[in-house]
Amino acid sequence: MSTNSATSDDDTPNGGDESGGGPDEVEARVGLRYTLKQVRQDTTARVGSYIVGFMTLVAIFAAFDYYVLNYAIAEAVLYNPEADPEQVRRLLPPVGMENQFGEGVIEHPLGTDHRGRDLLSRTIYGTRIAMTVGFLATAIGLGGGTVIGAVSGYYGGWIDDVLQRVTETIYAIPFLVLVIAFMTAFGRNLTFAMIGVGITAVPVFNRLIRSRVVSIREEDYIEAARAAGVKDRNIIFQHIIPNSFAPVLVQATLQVGVSILIVAGLSFLGFGAQPPTPSWGQMLSASRAYMLPAPTFSIFPGIAILITVIGFNILGDGLQDALDPRINN
Amino acid sequence: MSLLRYTLRRFAQAIPVLIGIVTITFFLANQIPGDPVEIMLGPTPGQEQVEAIRAQYGLDRPLYQRYLSYLTSVATGDLGLSIYYDRPVLEMIMLRLPVTLLLMLSAFAFAIVTAIPLGVISAKRRNEPADHISRIISLIGVSTPSFWIGLVLIIVFAFYLGWFPARGLVLPWADPTDVRGAATQIEVIRQSAHHLFLPMIGLGTLQMAQITRIERSSMVDSLQGEYVKLARAYGVPESTIVRKHAFQVAQLPVITIIGLGLSTALGGAVLTETVFGIQGMGRLIITAIQNQDYQLIMGTTLVFGFVYVIGVIITDIMYGYLDPRVTYGDE
Repeated sequence: MSTNSATSDDDTPNGGDESGGGPDEVEARVGLRYTLKQVRQDTTARVGSYIVGFMTLVAIFAAFDYYVLNYAIAEAVLYNPEADPEQVRRLLPPVGMENQFGEGVIEHPLGTDHRGRDLLSRTIYGTRIAMTVGFLATAIGLGGGTVIGAVSGYYGGWIDDVLQRVTETIYAIPFLVLVIAFMTAFGRNLTFAMIGVGITAVPVFNRLIRSRVVSIREEDYIEAARAAGVKDRNIIFQHIIPNSFAPVLVQATLQVGVSILIVAGLSFLGFGAQPPTPSWGQMLSASRAYMLPAPTFSIFPGIAILITVIGFNILGDGLQDALDPRINN
Repeated sequence: MSLLRYTLRRFAQAIPVLIGIVTITFFLANQIPGDPVEIMLGPTPGQEQVEAIRAQYGLDRPLYQRYLSYLTSVATGDLGLSIYYDRPVLEMIMLRLPVTLLLMLSAFAFAIVTAIPLGVISAKRRNEPADHISRIISLIGVSTPSFWIGLVLIIVFAFYLGWFPARGLVLPWADPTDVRGAATQIEVIRQSAHHLFLPMIGLGTLQMAQITRIERSSMVDSLQGEYVKLARAYGVPESTIVRKHAFQVAQLPVITIIGLGLSTALGGAVLTETVFGIQGMGRLIITAIQNQDYQLIMGTTLVFGFVYVIGVIITDIMYGYLDPRVTYGDE
C-alpha cells in the first residue's frame, strides 16, 4: 500500500479499516484547503470542478437575469425564454438542418420549440432550476441523514432499530412516487419539489453515515475517548463525523447530480417547474409530442442534463480518488 | 440464529415498515386538496348523489376512523374500491403488477449481466484502455435521465431505423388469440421480447452503470486486501485470486447497491412506462394521483413498498450468505 503524498503516516484512520492515528492528523486530512489541493492535483476532479463551476456560474447568471433584471440580458442578447414570440417560427431544427417546419436559422442556433421559443435561451435558463433544486435538496438530505445516521449507528440497539425502520419506510416508497404524492398533497411548486427530493436523499446519507459510525465505533481511539469519559455527543460530532468527511463529500457531490435527475423526471411528468418557466425536464416532456417530425427538440435539454450530471459525477469520483488515502495519486 | 429464524425475524421487522407505508400514504392522500367525488360526478352533481357516493366509499366518516378501518382491511388483503376505475384496487393492481415486475426483472437482468463483467475487467485492468471505456460507459449511464434514454432510443431505433416498436408491451404469457399477428405462444414470446427490448435498456442503463461502478471500486479494494496479498505470496494464480478470493468479498457492496437500486428502478418504471406507453403500476399510480383516487393511490404505493421490502430482505439474506462474518442478529 502506498501513502498519500500529503501525509506522512500510513495509519491515518480516514481509510475506514485502518486504525491508529489521532484527531490532529484527521483534521489535517479533512480540511477544505487539503481538499482543494487534492482536487487541483487530480485531473478527473479538476475537469469535474470546471464543469460544475461553469454550470454554477450559468445558473447564477440566469437567476440574476430572472430575479433582478427580469430577463433584460436574455432579451438583449438572445430571446426571452418565457415569452411566446410575436412572429411564430415553431419547431425549427438547429442551424444547418432541415425538417418539415423549415430550415434552421442562425438567430435560433438550436432551433425553436412548439411555441416558437428559442431553444438555446430556454436551455441556458433551465440551468437555474436544475442547479438550485440539486444543491438545496442535497443539503436537506445531508442534514437529515447525517443526524439520523450518526445517532443510529453510535447508540445501536432499539434507537438504531426504530430510526432505521423509519428511514427504511421512507426509502421503501419509490422516490418519484413519494415526491409526487408529497407535492400533490402540499403544493405543486418548486419548494415542495426540493423538500420532497431532499427527503428521498435522507436514507442515502443515513446509510452512509451509519455504516461509517458502526465501523469507527469500535476503533481504539473511540474506545479510549469513551473510557476517558468524553460525552457521546462530542464523540459523534468531534471524532466520528469529521472522520466521515471524505465519503460524505463524495456522496453529496454525487447526490446533487441524482437530485437534478429526479427533478428532471418530476418536470417530465408535469410535477416540477410549471410552464412557462424554462426547465429541462419540462422541455423534454413537451418534445414528446413532436419526436417524429422534430426529433432535435428532444436532444438539447437532455444533453444539458447529461453534461451537468456528468460534471457532478466526475467531480465526486475525483474527490473520492483524491481523498482516499489508500489510492496512490 | 439460523438462517430460517433470521428470515422470519426480518419479515416480522418488515411489518412496522409496511404499517408505516400505509400510514404515510394514507395521510398524504388525505392531505390532497380537492374532492374526489366531484371529480367522479362532474362539477354539478345532485346533493343526494354526492351523499350516497360518500357513504359508499366511507368518505363521510372521521379521518381516524377511516385510517383504522383502512389498516384492518389492508391486513385482510382488502385494498378498497377504486373510484376512478369502479373496480377493486387489488384487481387493478393484479392486472398491472406483472407488467411492471416483468419490466423490472428484465432491466435488472440486463444490468447485472452487463455490469459485473464490465466492473471486474475494469478493476483488473485498472487505468488501461478497457478500464477507461468501461468507466466512460458507466459514467454516461449514471448521468443520463432514464426517460431521455427512452426518448432517444425511440427516435433512433423505432422511428429512424424501425427495428423496434415505439409503444406498448405484449406479455409473454398472453393468449395468442389476444395478440395481433401471433398464432403460437412462441410468437407471443418473440413479440414480447421485441417490445420489451427498448424499455429494458431505458430502465436498466442506470442500474447497469451503478452496479459497474460499485463492482469496479469494490474489486479494486478487494484486490488490495491482505488476504489477496497472502494468496499472492503463496503463489495462487492471479485468475484464481480474482475469481475466488477477491470476487466473493467484493460482491457485498454490489448486493447493497442492487437492493438500494430497487427503489430507484421502481420510481424509474413510472417514467419508463410513461415514455413507452406501457400500462403498468407506474401509469396506474399516476392515473390515480391525477384523478385523486385515494384508495388507488394508497393501494399502489403500498404494493410498491411491499415489493421493495421483500427485495431488501432478500438482499439482507444474501449478505449473510456471502459474508460468514455477518451474524444473524446474535448479541
